[in-house]
Amino acid sequence: MNVPLNIDWQQILLHLLNFSILTLGLYLLLFKPVQKFIKERNDYYLGLDKEAKEKLSQAEELKASYEQKLNSAEEEIEEVKARSAEEAKAAADEVIRKAKEESDKIIADARKAAELERTRILEEAQGEIVALAVEATEKLLAKSTSDTLDQFLYAVKEE
Amino acid sequence: MALLVGVFLTKTPDLKHESIKEVMRDAVLHESNRISLFGIMEVNPGFISALVVSVSLLLFAAIIRIFVIPRFKIMPGRFQMALEKLVMFFTDFAKENSPHRYGFLSVYIFGAGTYIFCGTVFELLGIQAITTHGSPIALPAPLSDINGAIAMGCLSYLVMLSGGFVESRLKGIGKGLKDFSMPLSMSFRLFGAMLSGVLVTELVYYYKALSFVLPVFIGVLFTLLHALVQTYVLIILTSMTYGELTEPTNKKIKRA
Repeated sequence: MNVPLNIDWQQILLHLLNFSILTLGLYLLLFKPVQKFIKERNDYYLGLDKEAKEKLSQAEELKASYEQKLNSAEEEIEEVKARSAEEAKAAADEVIRKAKEESDKIIADARKAAELERTRILEEAQGEIVALAVEATEKLLAKSTSDTLDQFLYAVKEE
Repeated sequence: MALLVGVFLTKTPDLKHESIKEVMRDAVLHESNRISLFGIMEVNPGFISALVVSVSLLLFAAIIRIFVIPRFKIMPGRFQMALEKLVMFFTDFAKENSPHRYGFLSVYIFGAGTYIFCGTVFELLGIQAITTHGSPIALPAPLSDINGAIAMGCLSYLVMLSGGFVESRLKGIGKGLKDFSMPLSMSFRLFGAMLSGVLVTELVYYYKALSFVLPVFIGVLFTLLHALVQTYVLIILTSMTYGELTEPTNKKIKRA
């Protein structure tokens, strides 16, 4: 049969066969290996990405735990500080109390000593006064005349 | 200037053994200039071109497979990047136009795109063959042979139908058969586009006065341009129709 435009079914089939073999060959030799390599590389990068994300999350967890530890350490430090301050205050109070007691004692002792000294001084002064009075009386008596005594006695009598 | 110098320095044209009408007719129909295929049968020169292009491409692919691909690196060089871009272009193109089913489509359009582009550029090489009459002939683009264009158009249509069948069985084929004119339109569009380049080139070369300087622009630019355009047209038509035919039906979407 004479087909117009020189269309030939045998040649169409030959072209089909040729193109099919070419496509299959290109797929096996070029397309598939290149695509496989691209996939492997993508997987490699995805693995790296996943690994990086895991490391990042681990780092974040570590950071969070360190922050928590830091916070608890700060709280602990605050507690220790407060406790130390309390202890220091107590110690200072104790020292002050002891110092006060001691000072009170010193003052009391001083007062007592002063009192004793005063008593002693008074006693000594009294003794001296008595001695002086006796001495003065003696002197007066020695100087005194009978007039004087008479005048005295007279006066006493008038009264 | 070069054109004028060329015209004046060459001899006046001898009487050609074929008129322009015969040359044009033969470029379209290949009725007289046929080539023997290994002594088995006579075929159009376009089929010999198809064989040469296919063997060359397969050899090139084999060389790349053996010597280049095993040395691929994570950080690609220029050639590796070009190969990866080529493969990714067709894969992405298929994925974009047929998002539900694109594995086979990407392989098909990779093969078809490479074949059409390389086959069209092949005519620039002007490889000579001997016809059965003993006269030399420059091998044309494989798809400027109507048989090659029909084969490519029909195969593309079969690929689309196969996609529809795989996705929705007979309903998919039914959907595809609605566009029954597609293989015809694809085949003749491809054939016409390829032929236009061949005819312009034949015309230019037929007249000696036109065969200086002009072919550089007309031949090369026409060939490169319609190589790209036809590659793009065929793969986009195939991909879009394949994508339409492989869209999941409402039932499947509801089940999912």
